[in-house]
Amino acid sequence: MEYSVNINVFQGPFDLLYHLIEKKEIDIYDIPIAEITDQYIEYLEQMMQFNMNVASEFILMASTLIEIKSQMLLPQKEKSEDPRQELVNKLLEYKLFKDVSETLKKYEDESSYYFSKPKEELALTSDVKVEQLSLNEINIYELYNVFLSLIKNQNIKIVTEDTFKVYRENYSVKDCVDELLKKLKLSGRVSLFSTFREKQQITKEYVITTFLAVLEISNKQGMKIYQDNTYSDIIIIAA
Amino acid sequence: MNIKSVLESLLFAWGEPLNINEISRILDMSTGNVNHILEEMMISFNQDTDRGLVIQKFGNSYQITTKKENYDFIQSLLQTTVNKSLSTAAMETLSIIAYKQPVTKVEIELIRGVKCSNVIKGLLDKNLIKEVGRLDKPGRPAIYSTTDEFLRHFGLNSINELPALKIETEEEKKAT
Repeated sequence: MEYSVNINVFQGPFDLLYHLIEKKEIDIYDIPIAEITDQYIEYLEQMMQFNMNVASEFILMASTLIEIKSQMLLPQKEKSEDPRQELVNKLLEYKLFKDVSETLKKYEDESSYYFSKPKEELALTSDVKVEQLSLNEINIYELYNVFLSLIKNQNIKIVTEDTFKVYRENYSVKDCVDELLKKLKLSGRVSLFSTFREKQQITKEYVITTFLAVLEISNKQGMKIYQDNTYSDIIIIAA
Repeated sequence: MNIKSVLESLLFAWGEPLNINEISRILDMSTGNVNHILEEMMISFNQDTDRGLVIQKFGNSYQITTKKENYDFIQSLLQTTVNKSLSTAAMETLSIIAYKQPVTKVEIELIRGVKCSNVIKGLLDKNLIKEVGRLDKPGRPAIYSTTDEFLRHFGLNSINELPALKIETEEEKKAT
């Protein structure tokens, strides 16, 4: 049978590391890295044994510790920074906020002694009486019938169309992309406005399709698309 | 018109912290004047032992609440205790935002060493923090600050009342 045990839950790698340091009464400015790394990893193994998901952040910290440990083994230049320094700084900063969050917790408890009430329903009642419709008890068929009778009363005639027209696409995004790329190859620079001007007749459909083509192109490497101002010309240049 | 009477009614009806600008707009009075009167009321409510209500100030907002002394009585009226307190993760994140505001998610995550997206979303939902803009940096990250609701939640008059950060210097640490 699988069961899980809730051992100390830590907020993150710094929390765990700080816990280990405090437990062993270690001087934070002189952390015995080898010892603390062993304990840290031992704890992670424990977590995994208890079937807890070990977040990647904890594993990252383990590798940071191992890195520092190996740096400590190497001979150091005289004035170089202690490899532990960065970690210590981070630990201290975390501890600063962890401590103050505990103080704030007390503030929170303190303020919970005061009760206040939620806002009144401050809706304005106007002179016009608005009838509240409850839609809960109306089903779709009733709505359908109401709709039909409404149309009947208003003498609206619904003409059902038996045939639908399917229009052929005059422009495809792919065609427009090809067109733009061809121009780009020729001159190295394409202005969207002049592309439109070249056409004798431009339709909304063409403009929209060309815009989609520009978006499509923007995914490709090796070109730059820019616009000086809002609503001004869009220029594509080969980079 | 008795201003104090109007103010009391306004605060009662609104229930939640009511912003000073809103009050001064309704009363057509300067915020300075309104602040002054409300502060007088805070004192007189507090001193009047026959009253069960007090006015509290959180940032730029005022709210009517019950008196702390009566907590136990109100508590026994309630069926179950509502636990409104925040999780440790939320407390840590909120502390960082409170002291470092305005601050980005990345900065918070660097200090805590863990991802904070969900915690931040929770704090936003609770209206304890708000997005106050975006940094002009790659990705245009959102920056967060605390709200008046944050002050109310912790019973603070203003952000300056946050407890001081205890920065232990190396020398102090070694001396102990």
